[in-house]
Amino acid sequence: MLEIINLHAEVEGQKILQGLNLKIDKGEVHSIMGPNGSGKSTLASILAGKEDYDITDGDIVYKGESILELSPDERAQEGIFLAFQYPIEIPGVSNGYFLREAYNCINEARGNKPLKPVQFGKLAKEKIKMLKMDDSFLQRSLNEGFSGGEKKRNEILQMAILEPLLSILDETDSGLDIDALQIVANGVNSLRSKETSFLVITHYQRLLDYIVPDFVHVLVEGRIVKSGNKDLALELESKGYSWLED
Amino acid sequence: MEKLDTRLIKNFEERNLSKHSLGWISDYRSTAINLVKEMGMPKLSDEDWRFTSLKDFSLKDFSPIFSSKSNFKKPSLPDYIDKIDGYFIYIHNGNLVSGTEYPFIVEPLEASFEYPEVKKVLLDDTLSKNKDFFYELGSAFIENGLYLKINKSQKIDKPIIIINSFDSELDNKFLNTRNIFFFGESSSAEIIEYSLSDSQNEYFLNKTTTVNIESNSNVEHLLVEAGNKNSYIFSNLKIIQSRDSNFTTNSILTGGLLIRNNVHPMLNGEGANSNILGLYLSTEEQLMDNYMFVEHLKANCESRQLYKGLLNDSSKGVFHGRILVHEEAQQTNAYQTNRNLLLSDDAQVDTKPQLEIYADDVKCSHGATIGQIDKEALLYLRARGISKDKAMLMLIKAFTDEVCEPIKNQTLLDAFHNIVNNWFEKSKLTN
Repeated sequence: MLEIINLHAEVEGQKILQGLNLKIDKGEVHSIMGPNGSGKSTLASILAGKEDYDITDGDIVYKGESILELSPDERAQEGIFLAFQYPIEIPGVSNGYFLREAYNCINEARGNKPLKPVQFGKLAKEKIKMLKMDDSFLQRSLNEGFSGGEKKRNEILQMAILEPLLSILDETDSGLDIDALQIVANGVNSLRSKETSFLVITHYQRLLDYIVPDFVHVLVEGRIVKSGNKDLALELESKGYSWLED
Repeated sequence: MEKLDTRLIKNFEERNLSKHSLGWISDYRSTAINLVKEMGMPKLSDEDWRFTSLKDFSLKDFSPIFSSKSNFKKPSLPDYIDKIDGYFIYIHNGNLVSGTEYPFIVEPLEASFEYPEVKKVLLDDTLSKNKDFFYELGSAFIENGLYLKINKSQKIDKPIIIINSFDSELDNKFLNTRNIFFFGESSSAEIIEYSLSDSQNEYFLNKTTTVNIESNSNVEHLLVEAGNKNSYIFSNLKIIQSRDSNFTTNSILTGGLLIRNNVHPMLNGEGANSNILGLYLSTEEQLMDNYMFVEHLKANCESRQLYKGLLNDSSKGVFHGRILVHEEAQQTNAYQTNRNLLLSDDAQVDTKPQLEIYADDVKCSHGATIGQIDKEALLYLRARGISKDKAMLMLIKAFTDEVCEPIKNQTLLDAFHNIVNNWFEKSKLTN
């Protein structure tokens, strides 16, 4: 599904990713942990296609082809989804309208017909129920005035509606209380299948109790320094990162 | 070479315009031409013109045109205007195209000089202390124009669409038009004014409109200035509102090389309510100067100004928002907001509030912002599969939609959205 090969990236001359290698197969859940400033969020942004970074070496291969030249919208249409760490507030664009536009853009790219507002409303309401959100959510402006928890849930709602093949969760657990964490995790788990893959970026092991990963990687100074199974997360929780940094 | 204003004054004298069969029109024109002489073409040193240079304009050779000789051919309007179910009034090169019956009064201005209400509206105007060069120029050359009257208690069931079309007969000419819209007591109507030109050559349009709104009337007005991008357009819109009247005006500017958009509502009866809305959408080298002058003369009135600008390429925008609250106008609420989105590094906007308050019990506010399209917001939308074009349009619509919120009439709302969408498509902002 995704193969990151010797990826080097910098922003304004500052090296952030320094030879990152990672392979994610269909149906797998990978988690990336690591100290602050290790490049976790940069990796997420680069995968989504944010243009502020210089890729100085390496490649990102998705479904067998390099995606370095694809725009963010083309990547999303190919099935890549980033749940943002800090979802943007966009006053004046309603959540419902935004979701329908996104859904139709992605489905059109997949060769399907766009859904009419009524049909889409039905689909959206089912997913909203799953995430224990209120229907009025659709009428509100996109993320405007949402609490931290609501914003994160909205990211998962978008994921549930858009049905991506590769989902990247950038610290989706930050700012969530334990109830919200469970709801978000249930949302993610309901999308797990043999066809879908996940990259879960987190600081804390706690999220991984709910979204159980197949692999855990530790990112330090722009490189993966250790990989293991879910037990590695527990080990990091008790020992911290410092033993891996030297 | 002689300056444009000198040449126009000469033309006025050669044509003996100060001699009219109606004595009061002779006086009216003479008073105005004297003011034109006295004031001269505005300069950057004039406080009200400090952001808009007329230097190039004042060296142009525009000669006046009065009656059009060219045959009227229905202009090719965009579908979203053409297909409106409304009462269409066509004005071609400044002349009213006759032959259509309306359930309200529509006449060429000259034919209405005999009416006492027209005389009153015109003469009342001369009492105003605030003189504007182009307004006086319009009074001096008063002749062409439209008189529109909605009678007392009349409710017009469909929007009135006034189409101002210009063709090549206007190339390098000065066209002066003076309109009077009179809304009788307890009447209601919606009006769309749409200006467009067939020719791509320069012309000088000086358009003065006085809107008189009697008590308890409700009027919604959408003004679309879509003339060609080589033209010089000076528009003066004065609104005199009586007790408990409601007026909403929304100007959408897309045309003109230089456009000066003066809007001057006078809240002259208790309980009057005014929404002064506008959107200036500029590209290339266009300069769009909006001069708002909201005058509160009586107590318990409310005015809300909301003007937004989208500026691309090396275009320039100006917003001057003046609010004057007279001593008598207690319990006034007057609000003013100006927001701008610069879509390129070379676009520029100047914004200036000016509040003069002589009453003590007043709520007044003003605010202005200048920003750019939020790159993070654009990325967020694109990361959900929405193309750059569509994402830009979504963000632009989120910005512009607020301007039409006070409009109640669905036809006017639809026209507003269509004009913005059409401008966006034509301007190819994402390139």
